[in-house]
Amino acid sequence: MAAPHAQNPSKRRGAELGAYATLSIISIFCAIPFFWVLLASIDGNASLFLQWPRELTIDNYVRIFVKEDGTRWLLNSLFVVGTATLIVMVLAGLGGYALSRTRAWWKRPFLYTILLIRVLPTTALIVPLYKVLLTANNGLGTVLREIFGNGPARQILRYVGFIDGYLGLILVLATMQLPLALWIMKTFFDTVPRDYEEAALMDGATLMQRIRRVLIPLALPGLGAAGLFAFISAWGDFLLPLILLSSPELQTLPLGLFRAFLRVNTIDYGFLAALAFVYLLPAVIAFGFARRFLVQTFSGGVKG
Amino acid sequence: MAVIELRNVRKFYGSLEVIKGVDLRVEDGEFAVFVGPSGCGKSTLLRMIAGLEGIDSGEFLLDGKRMNEIAPDKRGIAMVFQSYALYPHMSVAENIGFSLDLKKVPKPEIRRQVEAVAEILQLTEYLDRRPAALSGGQRQRVAIGRAIIKKPAVILFDEPLSNLDAALRVQMRAELQRLHRDIGATAVYVTHDQVEAMTMADRIVVLNGGKVAQEASPITLYHKPDNTFVATFIGSPRMNLIPVQLSRPGNGLVRLTSQAGWSIDLPEPSPALPAGPARLGIRPEHLKLAEGSDRDFEAEIAVVERLGVETYLTVGSLSDPFMARVEGDVAIRPGDRVGFAVDRRACHLFGADGVSAHRA
Repeated sequence: MAAPHAQNPSKRRGAELGAYATLSIISIFCAIPFFWVLLASIDGNASLFLQWPRELTIDNYVRIFVKEDGTRWLLNSLFVVGTATLIVMVLAGLGGYALSRTRAWWKRPFLYTILLIRVLPTTALIVPLYKVLLTANNGLGTVLREIFGNGPARQILRYVGFIDGYLGLILVLATMQLPLALWIMKTFFDTVPRDYEEAALMDGATLMQRIRRVLIPLALPGLGAAGLFAFISAWGDFLLPLILLSSPELQTLPLGLFRAFLRVNTIDYGFLAALAFVYLLPAVIAFGFARRFLVQTFSGGVKG
Repeated sequence: MAVIELRNVRKFYGSLEVIKGVDLRVEDGEFAVFVGPSGCGKSTLLRMIAGLEGIDSGEFLLDGKRMNEIAPDKRGIAMVFQSYALYPHMSVAENIGFSLDLKKVPKPEIRRQVEAVAEILQLTEYLDRRPAALSGGQRQRVAIGRAIIKKPAVILFDEPLSNLDAALRVQMRAELQRLHRDIGATAVYVTHDQVEAMTMADRIVVLNGGKVAQEASPITLYHKPDNTFVATFIGSPRMNLIPVQLSRPGNGLVRLTSQAGWSIDLPEPSPALPAGPARLGIRPEHLKLAEGSDRDFEAEIAVVERLGVETYLTVGSLSDPFMARVEGDVAIRPGDRVGFAVDRRACHLFGADGVSAHRA
């Protein structure tokens, strides 16, 4: 009697073909929007509908970076999100380590409480958050004006202000991303045996040497994963910069994209598509870099 | 020179006392093994010697110098961890040479010393590999290499063979002994495996509940256990402890009567035990099959384990069994009634408190 799975080869081939065909259709379906964005961005005459460009041009990109403030938007975004990611990685690295190693009774309640921040919708938090930041900003402004005078204080506030300043947005973005990153790092350090640090201690490593030469290399996959999540999530955030920033010179990419939509004259789909593509790219690149760490982190920690 | 001395050493975790006043001396070049069940404090004691755990009271002296407050890396002690703790991001050579690198030893000198150590441990061809690309035995050797490159006066081993399979464990046991002979450092080795302890140690320290139950050479422990804990922990299969009533029939001997009704007479123990309940210790190999008047008692066999070279016969109920170990392959089946003779010269007698009273 033949085993039930021993079908004849042509039948099995047919089934495989069917599976591949289905998967291909789904993939194409998912890829079309991205393809459309790319195609429209190099089309000098792009419209709402997908069309093959009559002539290929980089005019839209030139417009973004040369005629408009695209370079500034991109740099603002990279600076704000990059700094926030860096803060998240440092704090999550240190905090995750501490949370993993401590046996304090408040550990579990604390971990669940910070997760709550992640669960609450940002939109609901924005009003109290704005009030707090505004008060802090006013206080800071008063002090700075006292010390430096009106003009310089305005310039300084652009960087360290809590409202309409880089620092406020960076801190809020980092705060939003920190809980998940802390969880990732805490879980990651749970899989790193203490033996590594103790072996380094026996070898005569100082605290700094233990952190730099043992803990950071060991934690790199976890930090990569936590950093990636923080970067992608903060990069995609639109509401916070919209509420917290107003000066044109502080605008970030999502705000640039949003305002380009709202212009009174007809919508320029080529320009918007190019802008969208520029906005997409860093997230994809970040993913490409950190993918390896992601797999390592979520498939079981350090192997040694 | 490296003589380890512990004087009334104690350790608390909160209000829980885990090391309850340990006094110990390990001579220079000796291979001492701490053995005991899990939770007996053997690893904690080792970590206190290493400096990874503080000493709450008492003293740890190395060559007469107090070490309590000395940092782990300043004690001249190296440690091999149970998990090996090889840094996954460094090559084998970097792992072995890490301690020298931290001391800012010049690179060529590190390379020279690493190669010398690798030669001893047969790791030369793996020096550029990452630990992940090594087998369990090779990782173990790298961990040992990392310890011996420091030329330590004392090497501590924390259950180093527990991650290896049985065959490799036997091989590594022999390698560790050879290595210990070659480098001559004082070694302290922690294990829960009494076979490892018996085969490797110059001196075994049996720990139970944070205290030293007995310390002696392996064979002394085997033949002259101080108490029922050591008697049953050392030796495999374990020593049978049979509850008996002790009486003095007046012939200058003590009579031990088991609950099953059979009895044997033994010479008066020293120190003397009072009449009443006691425990008779008989190792499985000291129970012989016997017939007729030679036999001391008869019992029904519950379980037979035939290993070819020897046969284990379990006698009595499952809740209170005892075991006989008979040479060769004997054709006895469960349910058979068999006669046994007790080797009186090898009997142990323990008082009701578990302390040994009679040393055969």
